[in-house]
Amino acid sequence: MVDGDEVRAGLTAAVVGPGGGGAAADRLCAAGVDLLAVDGASLALVSGGAFYSVGLAGAGISAVDELQFTLGEGPCLDAVNSSAPVLVAELNDTHRWPAFAAAASQLGVRAVFALPVTVAGFPVGVLTLCRHRPGRLTRVTATGAFLAVELAVLPLLDVMGTDMRAAVNDVGSPAWDELGSMMRSEVYQATGVLIAQLGVPPAEAMVRLRAHAFATGATLSDVAYRILDHDLYLDDDADDNRPEE
Amino acid sequence: MTDQREKDIIESFIGFADRLIDDVDVLALTTELAADCARLLDVEAVGLLLADPAGVLHLLAATSEEARKLEAFQLQRDEGPCLDCYQTGEPVSVADLRTETQRWPRFAGVAEEQGFRSVHAIPMRLRTDRLGALGLFGTSPGTLKDADLKLAQGLAHVASIAIVHAANTPEHSDVLTALRAAVTARSVLETAKGVIAQTQHVDTQEAFRRMRDYAHLHHQHLADVARAVVSGQTLPATTR
Repeated sequence: MVDGDEVRAGLTAAVVGPGGGGAAADRLCAAGVDLLAVDGASLALVSGGAFYSVGLAGAGISAVDELQFTLGEGPCLDAVNSSAPVLVAELNDTHRWPAFAAAASQLGVRAVFALPVTVAGFPVGVLTLCRHRPGRLTRVTATGAFLAVELAVLPLLDVMGTDMRAAVNDVGSPAWDELGSMMRSEVYQATGVLIAQLGVPPAEAMVRLRAHAFATGATLSDVAYRILDHDLYLDDDADDNRPEE
Repeated sequence: MTDQREKDIIESFIGFADRLIDDVDVLALTTELAADCARLLDVEAVGLLLADPAGVLHLLAATSEEARKLEAFQLQRDEGPCLDCYQTGEPVSVADLRTETQRWPRFAGVAEEQGFRSVHAIPMRLRTDRLGALGLFGTSPGTLKDADLKLAQGLAHVASIAIVHAANTPEHSDVLTALRAAVTARSVLETAKGVIAQTQHVDTQEAFRRMRDYAHLHHQHLADVARAVVSGQTLPATTR
């Protein structure tokens, strides 16, 4: 059994490395299977009500993920709709999703833990962990699962803003520093300004803000303060490299 | 202690105790708790840090821009009395930051830039679990009076109980999910401030006041109001 520090270190290392958001998502899922005592892990992007599989690890898991998208029911969909984790320790004990439960048990899946990945409280994706054996997550694995969800924001935003990280892709970027700078008050406030200005959802507003910071070499905080001070207007279309007004 | 101050303190505690009886609005409660601490104690500003399940600290409330900057600095740089307080679970009291330039070399400088000379950090705990820390910032050097320290501990305890209460509601099965929800609610609130600032042409502080007043008037949780704002619903601009 691995301890909390090992889980944290392993998951954190997974989101750093070459290959962009998709590769990081695969590594994060693989680390989840290794460290969180589950048999499968998958990460999906949610955009405009549709799900796109971004990362995957473990046998049979892709079927569990896609089953839900096909059947239109399941813990992942509920987790996204409610913006709250849906933790199912024993699928046989629940009657919430009859079609999904039947199909999942055919694959030998007994426990499913679906955790929404959110930006400013709104879902941008969902991380699914599943296991052949029923039972709750332990304290260490539950903490690890929440950690994985925090980290999952990075590959998902990278996939949404595909090119923005080309320049910084191979740098051993400290993921927690990056998350920390995203979680600052002024960055959220500026994200809110962009939501209202551009009429885009929170995740896309955050992607625009990051893209501008990466493109100009400024910190997220600096870009945020300039937006709040009406000193910087991000353009309505995707090209954020244009000269500002 | 003057009679009036004693009365204020009692009222503050009764107010919080009342609100712990039913449905707890963690976001509004922690924001007001910070404001009450700043008002009732001999300090200039107050910040409240909450740890997420990973042990990463987040700013949940701050009573002034200067306190917010200083708390944000500690979170970014992994250095400062509030962090030490959270990590040890014990109060950390610094009567004069100028004597502590070796212990927190960068923090001491930034604190002084923001006009602070003393810091008192109080742990938030639930039995053995560490939840976060309450930071009290003073503009002149000095220790916190014993009575003030006890009062601060009492108020920090109220905030801890609020979070534990929230952890026992149907939406949150445990402390982990409640903590996570509180941290998320804060990010939604900040985002909503930006939306209101942009649509109603006000600053972010006024945006906060409008949402708080609206929540109060309509008996809604602040977090729910903020969420509605971010998803595009408009608050009437005349809520004041």
